[in-house]
Formats: sequence, C-alpha cells, structure tokens
Amino acid sequence: MRNTLAAAALACAAGTMSFGALAAEQGVTDTEILLGSVIPLTGPPALLGVAHTTGVKVAIAEANNAGGVKGRKLRLVMDDDGYVSARTLQSTRKLIDVDKVFAIPGHSGSGQVVAAMPVLEKSGIPTIASVGPVKAIYDPPRPNVFAVGSSYEDGIRALVRYLGDRNPGKTWGIITQDDDYGVAVRDGFDTVQKEKKLNVVLSATYKRGQQDFSSEMARLKESGAEVFLAGGIISENIAMVKEMEKLSIKPVTGIFWPGRVEAILKLMGPASDGLYAVDYVEPFGSPAGQAFMEKAKPLVSEAEFKGINRYTMAGYAGARVLIEAIKRCGRELTWACTNAEMARTKDLETGVMAPIGFGPNSRFTDSRLQIMQADFATLSYKPVQ
Amino acid sequence: MRFFLELALSGLAVGAVYGLVAMGFAVIYKATGLVNFAQGELTMIIAYIAWTIQTNLTGNVAVVTVGALGAALLLGLAIERVVMRPMLGEPVFATVMVTIALAVILRSSINFIWDAYPHGLDLGVGRSVVRAGAVGIRTGQIAVVATLLAMLAGFTLFFRYSRFGIAMRAVAADDRTALLMGVSTGRVHAAAWAASAVISGIAGIFFAVSYDLSPTMFQLGLKSFPATILGGLDAVIGSGLGGVIIGVAENLAGGYLGSGTKEVAGFVLIIVILMVRPFGLFGQRDIERV
Amino acid sequence: MRSGTFKETYPELIALTDSRLVWFWGAVLAIALAAAPYLVNAYLLSLLTAILITVTGVLGLNILTGYTGLISLGHVGFLVTGAYGYAVVSGRWGLPPLLGFAASGSVAALLSLVVGAPSLRLRGLYLAITTLAFAFIVSHLIIEAAPLTNGARGITVERPSFGGLSFASDQAFAHLCLAIAILTLFGTLNLRRSRIGRAFVAIRDNDIAARAMGVNLHAYKLLAFTTSAFVTGIAGALYGIYLSYVSVEGFPFLLSIEALAILIVGGLGSPLGAILGTIFVTLLPELTRSALAMFGSEAEALFSTGAQELKSILYGVVIILFLRFEPRGLVGIWHDIRRLWVHWPLRF
Repeated sequence: MRNTLAAAALACAAGTMSFGALAAEQGVTDTEILLGSVIPLTGPPALLGVAHTTGVKVAIAEANNAGGVKGRKLRLVMDDDGYVSARTLQSTRKLIDVDKVFAIPGHSGSGQVVAAMPVLEKSGIPTIASVGPVKAIYDPPRPNVFAVGSSYEDGIRALVRYLGDRNPGKTWGIITQDDDYGVAVRDGFDTVQKEKKLNVVLSATYKRGQQDFSSEMARLKESGAEVFLAGGIISENIAMVKEMEKLSIKPVTGIFWPGRVEAILKLMGPASDGLYAVDYVEPFGSPAGQAFMEKAKPLVSEAEFKGINRYTMAGYAGARVLIEAIKRCGRELTWACTNAEMARTKDLETGVMAPIGFGPNSRFTDSRLQIMQADFATLSYKPVQ
Repeated sequence: MRFFLELALSGLAVGAVYGLVAMGFAVIYKATGLVNFAQGELTMIIAYIAWTIQTNLTGNVAVVTVGALGAALLLGLAIERVVMRPMLGEPVFATVMVTIALAVILRSSINFIWDAYPHGLDLGVGRSVVRAGAVGIRTGQIAVVATLLAMLAGFTLFFRYSRFGIAMRAVAADDRTALLMGVSTGRVHAAAWAASAVISGIAGIFFAVSYDLSPTMFQLGLKSFPATILGGLDAVIGSGLGGVIIGVAENLAGGYLGSGTKEVAGFVLIIVILMVRPFGLFGQRDIERV
Repeated sequence: MRSGTFKETYPELIALTDSRLVWFWGAVLAIALAAAPYLVNAYLLSLLTAILITVTGVLGLNILTGYTGLISLGHVGFLVTGAYGYAVVSGRWGLPPLLGFAASGSVAALLSLVVGAPSLRLRGLYLAITTLAFAFIVSHLIIEAAPLTNGARGITVERPSFGGLSFASDQAFAHLCLAIAILTLFGTLNLRRSRIGRAFVAIRDNDIAARAMGVNLHAYKLLAFTTSAFVTGIAGALYGIYLSYVSVEGFPFLLSIEALAILIVGGLGSPLGAILGTIFVTLLPELTRSALAMFGSEAEALFSTGAQELKSILYGVVIILFLRFEPRGLVGIWHDIRRLWVHWPLRF
C-alpha cells in the first residue's frame, strides 16, 4: 500500500515536472501574452503614471502591429496603486496571483518598487522598473528586476557638474523636497559640492505639496545666489520660477527630470527660457523626440497622445527591453528564459535614449545623460553641446 | 528692510487668499455649527470651472468670474440641498464625516473630469508685476487683498444691518428659538452654503491666477484652516483677519527661520490657540446648560 | 426555542455572550481563519493580512471614537509612530522584535499623553481639529529627527521572529496578525464590559452627566486616549512589517479618514461593526473593479484617462449613503437580519 502511494506520488511529481517543462508559463496562451503594470493612475501622480502607461502601450501596439511576438499578441492590464506603497504591494500580488500576468513591463515609483521588492523577488516574475530607478532597486542585483534609466544621484551630479563648469566661482542656491526624492537630489548635489568646492549660499527644504514659495525665493534673492538648483517636481518648480520673475532675479537655473515635462514651460512663461535640465531620455525638441511622437500618434488615443511626456519615453524603452527578450525566447516562453534574455540585452536601440544593455551582474542600464535647455519659443527642450 | 517688505507683502497676498477660504469655513460654521472639511476642494473645483470657461468660451475676466461664481452658487446650493439637508439633526460627527466624504468625491472628480497636469488661469489681468522701489508684487495679489478688505466690510455691514444677516446670527445663536421666531433655518443654511462656496470660489480664482491650478490645490483648505481657528470658528470677520495674520507670520517664519517649519507652523498654532483660547481671538465662548 | 432574552443578574448582563452557539461558531471562524493562509493564493492572503491589521487599528480607534465619543482625525499619527517605534528599535538598533512591539505601543501611548492631556478641555469638533494638526506635526517631526528615524529615507523592516517562531513566511505573518487581532478583539470587548468601559460610554452619552455620577472625566478621557493609541501603535508596527519599508509617505493622512469611514460603515462603537466595516471597505475597490470589468474593453480605454478615479468617488458616495440611510452601519443591518430570522413572518 505504502509503495503504491509512493509510486503514485513519484509519478505525480514527475508528471508535473515534465508538464511544467512543456506547458507555457502563466499568462501565456497560444495566441496571447498577458502583461500587467502597477502604476499610479489616480490623484496627482497620475500625471506620470498615465503617461508612462501610454509609452508601454506604444511599445505593445508596435509589436502587435508587426504581427505580435511569434504569433502571440500582447495584452496589457493595469492596476492603479495611487502611489501608495501598501496598495502597490496588493496590486503586485494581484497581478501575479489573480490576473496571472506573464511579466510586469512597468512598475510604480521608487519607494513603491522597494516596498514590493520582496514579492517581486520571491515570485521571480520578469519586471521592469522604469519610473524612478534608485539604488535599492538594482543594488544588490535581483535576477528578475531590471531598472531602466539613470540614478537620481548620477543625474544631479551630471547637472551640477555641468552648471559648475559653465559658471566657475559663482554662488549656489538649492531647494529640495523633504522626502526620499529630495534626499537623493541632495546627496547627488553634496558630492559635487565637495568635489568642486561650490560656494552654497542658500540651502533649504520644503514640505511636499507646498504651493507658495515666496519666502524661499525671497531668501534666494537675499542670498544673492547666481546658480540655482530647483529641486521641486512640477508645480513646485513652476511656482519657484514665477516667483523669481516677480522678484526680478534670474539666476542660472537647473531642474531635474521628474519635473521635465513640456507642459510646465508654458505655465512658467517666458521666465522658463534657458532653464537647464538633465535627462536620460531624449527631449521632444530633438529629431529623436519628434520621431517618437510620429510613431506614437497613430498607436494611442487622442487623450493619451495629449498626455505624452518624458515618462512615456521611459515606459516605452522599458517595455521594449521586455518585448525584445520575449521575442528572443520564442515559443518556449518561460520566466527563466525571459530573465536570462533580458540580462543578455546589449545595445538595444529604442530611439528614445542611449542604447540599452545589462550585464550578468548588472540590472541597471545606467544610461547616458544629456544636458538640455528649455526653449520658450517652441515650448520644448533642446540638447546642449 | 527690502527683504522684510518682500516677505510681508507676499505673505499679505497669500494670507488674503487664506483669509477668504477661512471666511468660507466660518460662514458655514456660524450658520450650521459644523466644519466643512470640503472647503479646500470646493475652492479647487470652482477654480477649475473658471479655467474651463476661460479655455472653452472666453478669457474675458468678467465673464469668467461671473460664470464661475454662478457655478459656485449653484454648487453650494446643490450640496446643501442634496447632501447636507438630509443630515439635519444627526450628530455632529456624522455631518462632519459627510463633508469629509464630499471632499474625497470632489478631489477625485478633478482627475475624472479634467487631468493631473497643472494649468494656468489666464484672464489677461493680474499677472503683470508692479514695482515699488525694489519690491515687486503682482496686480492679482493687490486685487485679492482689496477683495478681502471689501468682503470684510461687506460682511460686517451685512451681519449688523441686513434682515437676513440678523436671521443668520439668530440661527447661529440658537437655531430652535430662531425657528420659533419665524426664521427659516433651512433657508439660512442654504444661503450659508451658497455664500461660502462663492467666497471660496473668489479665493480659488485669485489663487489660480497667481499660483496656477493643480490637483493639489485642495491643500489650500488645510492651510486656511489654522486661520479660521485663530480668528474663531464662528467669527467670519475674525477668520478673514486670521488668514492675513497666518499668511504674514508663515512667510516671515519661512524667511527668517527656514522653510521646513513653515508648513507645520500653522498646525502648531492651531494647537496653541486651542489650548489657550479655544474659541479663537474673535470667537464667542459657548456655555452649555445641562 | 428561545422566546426572548432575559437577563436576571449583572454578570449575565455583562457576559460576552449568553449563547454557546456564538462561542461555537466563533471558534469555527477562528479555526477557518487559521487554516485560510494555507488554502488561499498569495493575493487573497495579502488581502486577509491587510484586513487583520486594519481590524486591529480600527478596534484601537473604536475605543476612543466609538466608546468614548471623542473624534480623532489624527490616528494616522499614532499609526506612524508605532511603525517607527518598531522600525527604530528592532530594525535600526537590532533589538529583539518583542521589544520593538512594546516600543511601538508605548511610544504611541506616550505621545497620546502629550497630545491628549492638553486636548481634554476640548470636545467634539475642536478635538478633531487638534488631532488633525497633531498628525501633520508628527510626520514633520519624524522627518526632522533624521538621526533617530533616518529622516525621509525611511527604514527597511524585516519580518520578526521570536519565542522560537519565525514569522518570515506570508502564512506565519498572517497568523501573527490573526493572533494580535483576536487578542485586541477580546481586549476591547472585555474593556467595554468593565467599569472603565462603562465610564467611557457614559462620557460619550453625556459627559456632564457622567461627571455628576462620579466619573473622573480627565482621567478616563486620558485613559481612552492612551489605550487607543497603544493599540493603534501595535497596528502601526504590523503595518510597517507588512510594507517591509517604513517611511512617512507610507502613512498618508487619508488613512485617518479611512479608519473613521470604516467605523461609520461598520457601526460606531461596536467591535463587530469594526470588523464588518474593515472587510467591506477593504474589499470595496475589488468590488468596483469587478463591476467595472463587466463593461469590457470600452471601459478599459476610458481607464487610462481618469476613469480610475471613479473608485475614489464611489468610496465617498458609499460613506455618505451609509451616514444618510443606515447610521447604525453594517452592524445595524446585521441586527435587522437576525431579528427577521427569529421573528419571521412577524415584523417585530
């Protein structure tokens, strides 16, 4: 009796094993591959979440129009996390266990990915983090989590070095947000400040959500700073620049990529002209940026097209990495294969940023950064030499 | 000196906006005895309506203002009739929670109807900078201070001399007795909501002209809240002045002490005031009979 | 068949329940919940864990708002203090997790003395306002106290293990949350039966009358505040462990409102209501999601451009509808169903 049981169990185990090898991974059928993103689609962060999702959709539509991936069409489900870590955690689990998606082509912001990391790591699902790549996401490298972009610290360093070299011996002012994003900006700034011995005359933080920056800007004027790093995101930077206009000061001003959306230039008015920014995706004022818009136009709805910003490019690039890896895996699509193929990505041209590549022990593209400058006349950013 | 003036002036301008929103709080509290936690959201919605008129119809400042304030009036009346009136006689806790739920609904409707991008409300006026010596201020900011002063004067006269103003005071003092005296409590409540929505709407339009629209604009309600506590929850005039005090104090604190403290300074003030003088600077102490 | 409920002695009146059947089904439910982590998928397990943690926190708030009638809009302040209390003690200092839990509860309780003692002069709305202010001040202080709390960077929290048990797996952690939720449930039920609980309710119903009856208002209000904060602090620690990462942003002010909404939807002052309310509110997004999914792919296109907000709108609408049409909450509906069951076909 016991023998029979053991034999049955063995047969069962062998059965599942061989079955596992033959059958496709979850979310894959003969005709379809299901992908899922966890992204903020409600509240103010929807600004980035919706745009990012549009980018993922462009990549998917592009692949589907070319006949799908080895005969399989890609389909995307979205889950809104509202940029709240607890909900990110829930949504990630839901995508994996209930919707049974094959891969996650776009996962929420920096803190959110960190919160969901234990779940992602344990499941082994191929995941792209392309909203806010921070160190905790790619260091130590996890087999299945791939960060596309450049780190906040590196970005700020590049911007500050550039501005420092262009304006030697000038006085500096910096204002940052009081959260992990602000800390990253400040850390990046501090390393260059030490290295180049920058003379900082104003250093302040503001509370997330602040709308009136008159006292900060009055202090900036009082300090006489000649170069200014505006560490706000969107509306904060607008408020700061408009306040500077009112106070009739015009320091050389740099902003960072989370706030580098074209829509703000119009709101800042002529004062935005000449604003410096840093980013790893192409500005829409460049030929590559124009080409991307042309490509996206027929593939997404009108409302989505209107909402396109830099996050759309980031989302697109990330999704391309995943789709290319899926293509290389062919019909025998598994997580292990996809993760291995993603790690093997080399010099992938997406047209929206520098060629993408990972290494066996690197889960971070560390993409090349570009300094760009705002042009108010055309309401766009143009790369500077 | 110039630094101080700059801080004080922009504090005055933003304080006037706080003051208007705070008056909105106080009008409702005075008439109905409850704090409307959706005041900031109401302010935001009216500003978005103004923006919709400006982008779709005309940028004429008079049309936009009248249209948006008309919408505010209707919105105030509708909220009172549909949401608040049925809650008459329920415990304060329940009615306050209704306003919180209302806040959630209004806040979400921004992304539902409009989008998450910031927008500029361009009425062709209010954006140019006037300079007096080294100090600059936008014309819209001057206008908001003037509007606040006019509102303060208007409300003082209204409460003192108009029949309806006196009826409102009667309802605030004792709604049952007022009812017995022939004052229509329902009508007073409706008027209070409508008036409050209009005042908030004015604040919202001014704010949007000077600082732009964004889905985080509802935080104006939270920022103005200390003002109405300072002035006294039932003191309409006091709340308006409270706003100015908070605005200036906050900007001076931000300028001289550093900005981290600026955003919580108001909340610290709330606690201090409530400990020392729970009924505010201008409010009335209420005595409960058993 | 029972023809009615007759209580003849005080012990009978304050007994947890007079029915063996309730004990029996309660035990069945507890066993089912204990077995559930092994039967459901990871997503449902995660929902279950979230519900258990929320139940603990809401039961804490129920002591203050439900029993004592003091409205707090600042309970997220105690939640975040609890989470940080645990994260600092056991995450940063590496002390045993049990000490971490003790710290999370007691730091929150201590803080409640700081905010509670001066607030006692205030009632109703004014108390709600001070607690609201308090919640914002606490999160600001946590960011400012960077040497202790790591400031805006947040703290990573490991799953605890103590008493020879490891709670690293999702199943084990759910069990820990279940144990704490059950403990809290019995704690609050028993508190309600004691002299203290009756004093709380007396304060809620009419504080001036309660005072005339010899209830020391200050002492009892403070006690309600502290107990409530302690329980909420523990819930905060669990929530932090659940998130595996504690930062101020993980505790938005909306959580305070959500907790109050749960109490209202469930039925104010009733532990059963707190549980029903938690289940309802936690599953509400799921329900709306499946409702919207029925509309198919046309609705999907709408989703990308803002229709997601429908869920939040619905959330507000549900609260208003409950306040308007069923102020007793889900627990009231439950009582009606029970009565109908017993008395049918008679109405009463």
